[in-house]
Amino acid sequence: MALKGIKVIEFAGLAPGPFAGLVLADNGATVIRIDKLSSSSSDVLSRNKRSLAVNPKTSSGLDALKRLITSSDILIDPFRPGVMERLGLGPTVFLGEHGKVGLNSRLIYARIAGFPRNGSHKDMAGHDINYLALSGILSMLPGSHDRPTFPLNLLADFAGGGLLCALGIMLALFQRNVSGCGQVVNVDMVSGVRYVSSYPLIHALNPSTGAFANKRGDNMLDGGAPFYDIYVCKDGACMSVGCLEPQFYKTFLETFTHALPNDFKQRHSWVPDPGAQYDCNTWPKLRTFLQLGFKTLTRDAWTTVFMNTDSCAVPILTPEEASRTHLSGAYEAPLPHPKLSPSEPEDVSPSVKHAKAFLQPGEHTREILREFDFTVDEIQRLIQDAAIEDSNVRSKL
Amino acid sequence: MALRGKKVIEFAGLAPAPFAGLVLADSGASVIRVDRPSAKTLDVLCRGKRSVAINSKAHSGRELLKRLISSADVLIDPYRPGVMERLGLGPDVFLGSSGLNQRLVYARIVGFPRTSPYGAMAGHDLNYLAMSGILAMLPGSREKPNFPLNLLADFAGGGMHCATKILLALLERNETNQGQVVDVDMVSGTRYVSASPLIHRSNPATGRFALRRGENLLDGGAPFYNLYVCKDGGLMSLACIEPRFFAVFTEKFLQALPAHFVDSDEWLEFSVHDAHANQKSWNRLKQFLTDGFTLRTRSEWSHIFFGTDACCIPVLTPEEASQEFDMPQIGSSKGKTESCLLNPGQHTKEVLVEEFSLTVSEYESLLKDGVISQC
Repeated sequence: MALKGIKVIEFAGLAPGPFAGLVLADNGATVIRIDKLSSSSSDVLSRNKRSLAVNPKTSSGLDALKRLITSSDILIDPFRPGVMERLGLGPTVFLGEHGKVGLNSRLIYARIAGFPRNGSHKDMAGHDINYLALSGILSMLPGSHDRPTFPLNLLADFAGGGLLCALGIMLALFQRNVSGCGQVVNVDMVSGVRYVSSYPLIHALNPSTGAFANKRGDNMLDGGAPFYDIYVCKDGACMSVGCLEPQFYKTFLETFTHALPNDFKQRHSWVPDPGAQYDCNTWPKLRTFLQLGFKTLTRDAWTTVFMNTDSCAVPILTPEEASRTHLSGAYEAPLPHPKLSPSEPEDVSPSVKHAKAFLQPGEHTREILREFDFTVDEIQRLIQDAAIEDSNVRSKL
Repeated sequence: MALRGKKVIEFAGLAPAPFAGLVLADSGASVIRVDRPSAKTLDVLCRGKRSVAINSKAHSGRELLKRLISSADVLIDPYRPGVMERLGLGPDVFLGSSGLNQRLVYARIVGFPRTSPYGAMAGHDLNYLAMSGILAMLPGSREKPNFPLNLLADFAGGGMHCATKILLALLERNETNQGQVVDVDMVSGTRYVSASPLIHRSNPATGRFALRRGENLLDGGAPFYNLYVCKDGGLMSLACIEPRFFAVFTEKFLQALPAHFVDSDEWLEFSVHDAHANQKSWNRLKQFLTDGFTLRTRSEWSHIFFGTDACCIPVLTPEEASQEFDMPQIGSSKGKTESCLLNPGQHTKEVLVEEFSLTVSEYESLLKDGVISQC
């Protein structure tokens, strides 16, 4: 595994931090999640991580954290700008500044903020939908006549946040192999979402390309084109149709009309002309034809009709159906992806197959401290100072 | 730049491959896009790349490609399974025991999982989203979900994952001195980036995605995680999930509303503060917010909430956003980036002669035979 031996300290936070940590853990890194004392966690992205619960506002707790970070490779900071600095754990403590040597010049210090760190929103609270809002991409997403729809918190939290952070960390690791030095990786989710959305944004700002020149919902890839859309079937389940290219559209039309019941064809004599695919004047009629036609069969019947053809028409699976169709790990978690061969096994690795779903804050406090060579006395001191929790340690002693 | 000196051969394809190539180019790699001669392209993800146009159907074209790939660090293959093998350019040719380039990172991006029943079929982002299970969870109308353009499968689940794993392969290569194959399929990639909602959905005890589509916390079910239309048709995004943020929002929102609205028969008895925690009141709260937001313009609401922890932020158009923020790229982004349409074959001569040491007469001969083109 590419990151075997790499030690990561992930400060517990919402979505993006845990996802970055997950990518690192799935690639072999040892990830320790730092939790607050007596906290509960709803984090489901904790596969193969361990947790240490510590109070950084006690001096021995702070020292313990410094010690852990000093002998780690990567730190993930999910807090608003300034928080880590105020705790005495800012980047300069480890990476040094102005000729002053830091505690760990090889540390890769990854920071994930919502709004740009130096922008006017930097001190404000926010969530995925807010970052989406500022990015410009939300206003382009299909939805109803008066507003777009947002795809959960996938675009800013995960694609533009966690995944981009993991990418930045890889680049820093790569550069560290050459330079021997760590650095700060700065991610903000507004910029991250914009980067992932480069394609539609560039097209929108250059309307002469034509790809996103029309109103929201009237373009090729946002539901404007009837041959790139979702259709409801007889049983209420849905098919996806994505035959953008002429040869695929032709195949789709042939296969579709061939499968329509005779009485439908008798009632609807109009048949789409494959040559008129890109003539948007024909689109309303085409859309109606497809809507009515798809309603004549169930989703599974249509699935069979289009199977093994280049119609680009496949069923929309529920999460349950999808996880039966694909290999999953423990608790139905999606598998790490992509795969490297030959160094990664084809099958589900045991650590993914048997991973626990939830990581209790502080579950591994004692084990981790011992691993970092804290003596029994030092651990006692931490308990006395209320820097760590007695209960996290007691049962293991 | 982290990837300075690294050579990438990117076979021209749709969205995911160009995006992976873009990430590598933005990180300092030298990325050469291989086009077909006389191809037309609308690829806008070509910043910092060069193009050579080579006819892979000609034997000498394939030999030329072998030569280029033999001295590259990364190859990006966007084709359906089997295409590269049929061209004599499959992974074994380079990575096999007598391979031509054992250090090559051979990245392959397909749509459907390679060994699935759909593996040989054509498809696009919407299809991969459909198979992943996440599309069925996305908000939309009562009868079907909406899809976020081609962002989730093509770019997040495809291009981004591919670039990240290429880097991991390069890191591993530092230790082993061996290249590897990176296998990406966009169904699995979409599932991975969607891990959180998918895990919640298959573990309903967490409560996060236990309800029907559109009724949950993050899919439009919660009034305090949603979009609202303002007086001028502009939109505000609201995301005050945490009680303390909701309290900040409520205070400012109520302050900004006219008395005739707040004291109306309809709303006089309604306790906004209590509605956050009480899911039964969410419909009423949604109505209250919907009606309230229409009383002021987007710009007014923007100002009211700016600088607070209300998590209430205007929805900007791409034009407005590009005035606030640079077109982003990895590393520092100074000023506006020109978007280019890279012409197929724009750099054929430069790349082949200067970089890959073809002689001028080799180059001219291939040009004459139509195996390559220079625009």
